[in-house]
Amino acid sequence: MVVFDSTGTYPTESRRGFLRSLSSGMAGLGLAGFLGTEPSLLAAGSVPGTHFAPRAKRMIFLFMAGGPSHVDLFDPKPAIRKFAGQRPGSTNIRTERVTGGLLPSPFQFRQCGENGVEMSELLPHLQGCADDLCVIRSVHATNPNHGPATNFMVSGRTDPTHPSLGAWVSYGLGTENQDLPGFVSLGRASFGSARNGYLPGEHQATTIGIERSAPAQMIRHLKNLRIEPSRQERQLEFLRTMNAPHLAERGDDPLIEARIRAMETAFRMQTAAPRVFDIRQETAATRALYGEGVFADSCLLARRLVENGVRFVQINNGGWDHHENINKDIAKKCREIDRPIAALLTDLKQRGLLDDTLVLWGGEFGRTPVSENGDGRDHNPHGFTVFMAGGGVRGGMAHGVTDEFGFRAVENRVSVHDLHATVLHLLGVDHERLTYRYSGRDFRLTDVAGEVVRPILA
Amino acid sequence: MQAARRTRILVGFLLFIASLPAVSRAQDSGEEFFERSVRPVLVARCYSCHSSSAKSVKGGLRLDNAAAIRRGGDSGEIIIPGKPDESLLLEALAHQDGAAAMPPDGKLPEKSLADFRRWVEIGAPIPPDRGDSRSQSADEAPKSIDFAKGRRFWSLRPITEPKIPEVSDPRWCRGRIDRFILQGLDGKRLTHSPEADRRTLLRRLSFDLTGLPPTLEEIARFEADASPLAYEREVERLLASPHYGERWGRHWLDVARFAEDNNTGEATNKAPRVAHPYRDWVIRAINRDLPYDQFVRRQLAADLIPGLPPSEIAGLGFLGHSPVYHKEPKLSAEIITGIVAEEWDERIDTVTRGFLGLTVACARCHDHKFDPIGTEDYYAIAGVMAGTQIVERPLVETDPVTERALADLPRRLVDLDLRLGYAREQRGVAIEQKQDPAPFDRRIADLKARIDELKKTKLFAGPTAMAVRDAGLWVDGSDPSWTWLDYRPGIPRDLPVFRRGSPSNPGPIVPRRFLAVFSNSAEPPRFSKGSGRLELADGIVGSARGLTARVLVNRVWGWHFGRPLVATPSNFGKLGDTPSHPELLEDLAGRFIAGGWSLKALHREIVGSATYRQSSRHDGASQAIDPENRLLWRAQRSRLDVEAWRDAILAIVGTLDSRMEGPSGDLESDRFTRRTLYARVSRQRLSSVLQTFDFPDPKRHGEVREQTTTPLQQLYFFNSPFLLTSAESLANQVCKESTDLPERVRSLYRRILLRNPSADEHSRAMQLVKSDAADSREGYALLAQTLLISNEFLFVD
Repeated sequence: MVVFDSTGTYPTESRRGFLRSLSSGMAGLGLAGFLGTEPSLLAAGSVPGTHFAPRAKRMIFLFMAGGPSHVDLFDPKPAIRKFAGQRPGSTNIRTERVTGGLLPSPFQFRQCGENGVEMSELLPHLQGCADDLCVIRSVHATNPNHGPATNFMVSGRTDPTHPSLGAWVSYGLGTENQDLPGFVSLGRASFGSARNGYLPGEHQATTIGIERSAPAQMIRHLKNLRIEPSRQERQLEFLRTMNAPHLAERGDDPLIEARIRAMETAFRMQTAAPRVFDIRQETAATRALYGEGVFADSCLLARRLVENGVRFVQINNGGWDHHENINKDIAKKCREIDRPIAALLTDLKQRGLLDDTLVLWGGEFGRTPVSENGDGRDHNPHGFTVFMAGGGVRGGMAHGVTDEFGFRAVENRVSVHDLHATVLHLLGVDHERLTYRYSGRDFRLTDVAGEVVRPILA
Repeated sequence: MQAARRTRILVGFLLFIASLPAVSRAQDSGEEFFERSVRPVLVARCYSCHSSSAKSVKGGLRLDNAAAIRRGGDSGEIIIPGKPDESLLLEALAHQDGAAAMPPDGKLPEKSLADFRRWVEIGAPIPPDRGDSRSQSADEAPKSIDFAKGRRFWSLRPITEPKIPEVSDPRWCRGRIDRFILQGLDGKRLTHSPEADRRTLLRRLSFDLTGLPPTLEEIARFEADASPLAYEREVERLLASPHYGERWGRHWLDVARFAEDNNTGEATNKAPRVAHPYRDWVIRAINRDLPYDQFVRRQLAADLIPGLPPSEIAGLGFLGHSPVYHKEPKLSAEIITGIVAEEWDERIDTVTRGFLGLTVACARCHDHKFDPIGTEDYYAIAGVMAGTQIVERPLVETDPVTERALADLPRRLVDLDLRLGYAREQRGVAIEQKQDPAPFDRRIADLKARIDELKKTKLFAGPTAMAVRDAGLWVDGSDPSWTWLDYRPGIPRDLPVFRRGSPSNPGPIVPRRFLAVFSNSAEPPRFSKGSGRLELADGIVGSARGLTARVLVNRVWGWHFGRPLVATPSNFGKLGDTPSHPELLEDLAGRFIAGGWSLKALHREIVGSATYRQSSRHDGASQAIDPENRLLWRAQRSRLDVEAWRDAILAIVGTLDSRMEGPSGDLESDRFTRRTLYARVSRQRLSSVLQTFDFPDPKRHGEVREQTTTPLQQLYFFNSPFLLTSAESLANQVCKESTDLPERVRSLYRRILLRNPSADEHSRAMQLVKSDAADSREGYALLAQTLLISNEFLFVD
């Protein structure tokens, strides 16, 4: 019954295929002939595809909303302890809020793995994966407020109108599995991380709540309780025969097209999702590996999703905005994420998926080396840490350096645009060529900037 | 900017604020360093010659205020921030050659010299002098705003009537709108599209004006009506329908971010008892075509306008349903002040973006970076909010005692309840620690007695609404363990500038007044009547009326065409979009004011235009030139929003309960069959249907509705009980109506798509129905659902 070509994975011709598939579902309507006379229809909006051989085919973005403190996790700075309580005179460390003197991290750092990447004791499980991690300590952004900074990290712009990274990847590479959305966002999406912006509607994230683990509860109305599948199939066939000529008569209408695609995906999700989204099908050993909790479940689900061809999975984890009481609260947050992320990396590796799955961890900014409210840290976009793993990045390395207090990136600086350019590069996409024409100009994820960070490529 | 502001109103942030320890928020620590290590030395060793207290100031140099230190003395500047080696002061202190050795009675100790050096290195921060806004540190010194230049910006200029353009095809034009549109098309050598057929036209018009589909009979009548005024008659019929006010009222409720509760529902910000009166007031005001200037005035200040009936108090819900954040009284006054400032900020934002299309909230911490809006403008308006209290008010004539009780008692009860809870907690702790609980017992008894006493007064039981009254708010921190919000009825309040947005860093007091850019004098007239709400409203529809009219006309255009002329309807500033048809916007706005601010007249003109009546046909050549149809070479196709498609389905099934107004229902309940705008809108827990289908987040002003397309939406169409039940009901109806199978199919097409199926469609539909089980009702239901979820149904050509 599925007239869609579900093997057309990297769909450079997907739109053509899409229209053709519509027509083949309703022989005799002559849609193909009609389309044949409309070259503009076929040319517009084709999925761009890769520009060179990809190192990663899919991606998991672990987004830590609020801004995790890099100086407590990945960027040890002895000078903070040495000058504890003082204001560093050598550098302007002013941020949005009132801050005090240098606040030493009470957490021990240790050289981990064969290459001795330094990591905090707060992440004991992740320490075990050190040789897979590429820790980038010199990321810098522009804006100190959550909203614009999150927009910047997830979409390359501070204003809330542009497509998110996941939408760009979905647009650039299409979906690997026609039965599932190409871009799934788990947990409450913060700001624009689910947004498709001006990209066609089907590239918007499908946002899934993960508080409950049964797929039917996770995804509302996933099951039809009254119409059995065979009848619903006939219904969809009939719907296609209605929607196809409706679209054809109206020419190129992206909104109508997006809905047709979404309908097809939704229909197939009914069959695919109950299996794919059901982490209860995992073995007890695997579940134990990830541990318990919503974040653990999300990581496990993310693995199942990428394994089943979802191109981009974003996990949104909030609670990193530690303006006060950071020592206690960050430890708690780390207990929440440490084991699951380590498990995710281990699990992906065991299944041979880590080689072509890119994992990115990070927040919208880092935090100040100086204190706020006595025992917290303020936002700091001037220098902070993200890490990558898998899909074509060099493991077991730290890249870039912040100043002696960890406030500002000073060596091998990596802008957010550079980060995005690198991510796209690993996915086989030239960030300068992945464009979308909107409102009279070509837009890119990286705006007019961005350079691939070559030293971290494997 | 905008997003930055949004960040601040996030619940997360509030929780953060709410959980701050009650520490004093110190000045910037660089300034602290100055106060601790530099100033004392200046006082001890330098003031005798270099301050206002000196008998004669030596060398023209004073060191006792920030501005003077920066200015330097007769030898010029004495410090270059960040550059100790180039700073004369340090040379003098070091007794270097070429500089006067200071202090003359002996070099400072090494420690002090190092401190001075470090202070200059970190940029020589000095706290601003009290009461002098011009002596802030260099990086936040206010740059003056060029208001004269600002007033010349396109949206802030007075409206001038544009010349009606000459066009290629004047006969096509039905009115002035078409001239401007055609001028744009001519410029790109595009041609307009022919008029849509009548069925399409009436479906479009009906959804547009009332949010409901036309009936078959209405279409038949319109198609048969040979009168040249047939279309105009339909327009009048729909504008006169009470459903018009429901549709267009809902548009306005997005702007007003109307909701029936708060972002959280803790002790001090529980959902109000009543919410629907404001929503109903909006519907009625729009139905009776209350002139827009009055519509604005009443929403901000109905209580201050003489001669209005008390029922108009409901309009104040625009402010009365502003989000209220929890203010735990145990938090320090400083923190509570911060939370209160967030509330004011949200109100300023909604009022200024909503009515004026200006992002005034961006000027909270510093002058607006792009638009002619100063920080003083912000605090001038914030003062209005600081003098305005959200209270419940009667909608009928009562006495002042009743009114006061309604406003004050619930708040006092909440406070006493909180105190009681706290006292009980303390008592528990005392017992645990084996201390004497007696003081707490007495306190508990006392509080209980006071609560019982208060409860004796019965609150007004008649109709009421969430509204506002004039009452200045002072956050009272005199009891360090219990912060009290001291509202003083009838007493207005001017606020100081909060430097860098921080209430604990107050600058000079700013009198309440309207935005300076709308005044010809440097100092706009001060508000003098109460809080100044009415004067604010009068400014919006008075000196700012050009902008106000442009903003409103643009919104209305957007709600009709699916895309406004200015793509950022709540930002007419420099970072906003520029109009696709500037002269058209001027023309519409100018005549909107001249014609008495009538929305219905504006609708008539827009929907009566040849532009509006075009078909949405596809045309490859035009598409290539203007793919987004910005120039309107055809009608802009739209997708039904959640209210429209749900209401339409209920209408088609025949279960639509068309009772207007009154308390809201639960959208998730299958017994709720009223129009969607009567569903409860919650900030705390927005209905999942609304969330899934692009309903704007009512925590803040809704500029435009985003349009998303997700598989989750489609799962709702395939599988939700609402769709399935609706389809089954339709199937039952057609089966009861006729025994003729082909006729049943035709009937479903007519009911849902307002047309008969083609022969092809009919035979395929018959197959679908017949392929089902013997009892064919299920088959008809399947067909009905398919038609209901088809694109032909969901999109409006």
